[in-house]
Amino acid sequence: MPDNVVQRGARRVYQGVIEHVTAHNADTRSLLIRVPEVNEFHFVPGQFISVAIPIDERRETRAYSLALSPQDGQPLEICLNLIAEGVGSHYLFGLGPGAPLSFTGPFGLFTLEHPREYETVFVAEGTAIAPIRAMIRHALGTSGHPPLTLLYTAADQAHLLYRAEFETLASQHPNFRFEQRVSASGRLSALLDEIEARYVRADAGRERHFYVCGVGNDVLRVRDLLRAAGYARRAVEYERW
Amino acid sequence: MSDESNADNYYRLMSRIRVIFENGEPERVIEFDPAQAPFQHDGQPGSILDVLLGNGIWLEHACGGNCACTTCHVIVKRGFDTLGEASEQEEDLLDKAPGLTPSSRLGCQAVIDDPAAELVVVIPRYTINQAAERPER
Repeated sequence: MPDNVVQRGARRVYQGVIEHVTAHNADTRSLLIRVPEVNEFHFVPGQFISVAIPIDERRETRAYSLALSPQDGQPLEICLNLIAEGVGSHYLFGLGPGAPLSFTGPFGLFTLEHPREYETVFVAEGTAIAPIRAMIRHALGTSGHPPLTLLYTAADQAHLLYRAEFETLASQHPNFRFEQRVSASGRLSALLDEIEARYVRADAGRERHFYVCGVGNDVLRVRDLLRAAGYARRAVEYERW
Repeated sequence: MSDESNADNYYRLMSRIRVIFENGEPERVIEFDPAQAPFQHDGQPGSILDVLLGNGIWLEHACGGNCACTTCHVIVKRGFDTLGEASEQEEDLLDKAPGLTPSSRLGCQAVIDDPAAELVVVIPRYTINQAAERPER
């Protein structure tokens, strides 16, 4: 095992290095992390890593979803926005290329590994696109996937992350539809009416699979809307940040 | 201090958790006052995770105790009814937890409601829990 990977019990602690920083807009960045001498970092699209954050003399962790798919290989990518009171994001925004980053993982059960049986609908807001981007990139690189739709909202165009990439993917893959929505709140609540109109009222079909990711109780509102409409519990997967 | 406040302290109820580690570590017993929660900053205040971390027992919680993974899965052998009810979100995650039992809970969400609760909690073997893995301080 390389020196920068330490086995602690059942988990491994990786010592990575920030290879590149991408500024999406004034308050949102991606960190591209390489783990030297590790050929493959195995994870399932949608999973996250726990990043060590030194705070005073303590060391805490913060969870960040991996925004690239396993097929993309290294560097790994995490995407985060600057939170006013967030010690984790302030610390990470202070790091540049060459800075070391210690993390464990992967973790998480909000995942898409194998193509779903039915049309798969992804619903996201802002930086919560990260795990869903990994899933979509993975799915589009896998044969036999059903139709995929991404319904994505943010407060302005600059916060619709990876917009050009999704537009390109949609133009290349007839089975993938990208629907972007700029909304005043930039939150999932702005999509509720549209979700209800398209996936509840438009037809009686309930053979769809949903992945919903966002912040706070809006995620639960989308979940409850879909489950109450008759979608199977396990067909509505979500991650609430 | 008045006699009345002395009496209050004397009769103050304490909760108790006996923690059993499936990996063979020696069991631990914690006595605590739920009214003093939170004991640290991860998980729901007064949750099993909060109590354990606040009393020097490391329980994995990869998502930071935010109900987004199952690494803090515990099995409540006694005192299950003294815990707050699991939310649908917790149940959805538990569905995917390895080694799920009828008395499984996520440590970060299982809040001890009863001020005199007597709990026995098992940390499953696959829940990473070794002294070497405690965060560096």
